Amino acid sequence: MENNDKHISFVEQVQAIPGGEHVSVCYSCGTCVSKCMIQQKVEPDYNPRRLLRMVMMGMREEAFESPTTWMCSECDLCYSSCPQEIHISGVIGAVKQLAVEAGYKTPLEVVSVDENLCSGCGICVMTCPYEAPHLIEKEVDGELDRFSEVDAEKCMGCGMCVAACPIGAISRPGVSNAEVVSQIKIKKKRGKKSLIVFVCDWSLREDDDVVLLESYPDNVRIIHIPCTGRIDPQMALIALNSGIDGVLVVGCKPGECHYKRGTYVSDCKINLLNTMLGQMQLADGRVRFVQIGTQDRGRIRHEVDDMLALLEKEAV
Amino acid sequence: MASKPKTSKTKDPKPKLAFYWASSCGGCEITITELGMRLVDVSELVDIVFWPAAMDFKYDEVRAMKDEEIDICFFNGAIRNSENEEIAHLLRKKSKLMIAFGSCSHLGGIPGLANLFDAETLLERVFDTAQSLDESRGTRPQVKNKMPEGEIELPQMYDRVKSLAQTVEVDYFMPGCPPVVDQVWNVFQAILTGKLPEKGSVIGAEAKTNCDVCTREKGTSGMRITEFKRPHLTELDPDKCFLTQGVICLGPATRAGCGLPCVNGNMPCRGCYGPPDGVVDQGSKLVSAVAALVDTDDPQALRDILAGIVDPVGLSYRFGLAESILSDLKYGK
Repeated sequence: MENNDKHISFVEQVQAIPGGEHVSVCYSCGTCVSKCMIQQKVEPDYNPRRLLRMVMMGMREEAFESPTTWMCSECDLCYSSCPQEIHISGVIGAVKQLAVEAGYKTPLEVVSVDENLCSGCGICVMTCPYEAPHLIEKEVDGELDRFSEVDAEKCMGCGMCVAACPIGAISRPGVSNAEVVSQIKIKKKRGKKSLIVFVCDWSLREDDDVVLLESYPDNVRIIHIPCTGRIDPQMALIALNSGIDGVLVVGCKPGECHYKRGTYVSDCKINLLNTMLGQMQLADGRVRFVQIGTQDRGRIRHEVDDMLALLEKEAV
Repeated sequence: MASKPKTSKTKDPKPKLAFYWASSCGGCEITITELGMRLVDVSELVDIVFWPAAMDFKYDEVRAMKDEEIDICFFNGAIRNSENEEIAHLLRKKSKLMIAFGSCSHLGGIPGLANLFDAETLLERVFDTAQSLDESRGTRPQVKNKMPEGEIELPQMYDRVKSLAQTVEVDYFMPGCPPVVDQVWNVFQAILTGKLPEKGSVIGAEAKTNCDVCTREKGTSGMRITEFKRPHLTELDPDKCFLTQGVICLGPATRAGCGLPCVNGNMPCRGCYGPPDGVVDQGSKLVSAVAALVDTDDPQALRDILAGIVDPVGLSYRFGLAESILSDLKYGK
């Protein structure tokens, strides 16, 4: 074990960071792993149980290189099920803090700020669930200017700030404004109602539900987004204005959002959008937000069918 | 204007200027007179050939001009009726440069808020159901009216208020409700010295948003909104960002250039300078930003908090509704 301070073991270092205190009571039952969406959906090597064990065994470099250290989004689905009541994301956060201090970099796709556009309003700072952006001042052409700067190691890539930035100064590969808008296209077919479905990649827990998404005919366009917090009301307006009949936004149930606040943020946006459509006498249920719970297997099918049936009925 | 400057009877190298007001309040005209003595300097350098608000010119005099005879036309006001539309086309034809002057011609402005209702609903309200009427007289203004002297015609009111650029080609956009006088002076100077940017540009404004020049203390991590407050019902800290005080400010979505008279008067920005380049729909972007700041994990509380935004369209599209996607959806593109 290479440690600058040989007197303090790795586990003691982790325990010294707020959140990391309870690591040693883990008895490696693995309940956390069974709850974790990351392990199921994107990274088989993601394993909180193993990371906690690495900490206790002093496997410093292995822990720092583990995807578990970097990918935990603090959704805390595991917290409520841990029989030892360990705040696992707190422990992982402590490991990540040490990894960052040791110079390790995040492997995630993170957001970046275009300083030529950013006016330093601070909305991204207030929005971010992870305290990744902060305002800095620096000299540009002899004048002090204020920008948002993103701490890449804190960013989880949810895209909430990309949607919140009122001037489009923030982007993230794959979910930039232009990339999402370019997908809002459905070829009109006579007699078929068209529907855009924005799906949070975390909201569908069942493989069958994910497979189902691939099976829809052309009149239903699925657009994958990392979190419904990435939704911008403008996207729904663009869809409707291009002649698409309906927009369905599919996210997670309150308390189960992978990025903590995304589902609330999206609820607010769709709510306000529908209020505004109502003010214009245009509210007819064509934009809908549904929240799918961890136990709601197969529900996506019903939601899409419901929406298509409504569009048929309203003949909008 | 103290006196009417001489019109060009002989060949005159002075550039010819026209000012017009369509559907507007007159504030844009006032901002030009606010130039004060500087206006005297301007009138030495230019010929004003048309300015209905201040000088006695007739439409027929413009109709008699050669095409592109006017060098620069400052057009304020939105396009709400057939007269506005007709004169917009006429002035476009007669002018080398067409400048949308002020929020109404730039984005539709305050008159654009009428797009919340179609023409019939508005007329019904004004002429039949308004509380100020003793009783409905059942009379409505008609386009054609028979009078003892013969038939007269009034302009036709349209369902949708439009911006100038939705009606004719516009060379430059000068935002503001009204454009602030120093920016008007800057633009006059740019015109007279031939230093105008690329056609289609916004002039008399900055590239970034109001937050770039606002010195109020900005929000920090985790600072969010649990209650929306209305500025006239709230004691506001003059040193802190309005958003951090629960008051919606359009500054983050609005182009800088006004010099922040509202913000410095401790009132939030209303967005009259329009969005910066690259933003299509100022209102929906603002809603996206504001919604992201709401802080609650209780779905019912969330609805209660949002109910605090009394008029989301009027707030976020106060000057941009005419050109917005919402108007496109309601009235067709």
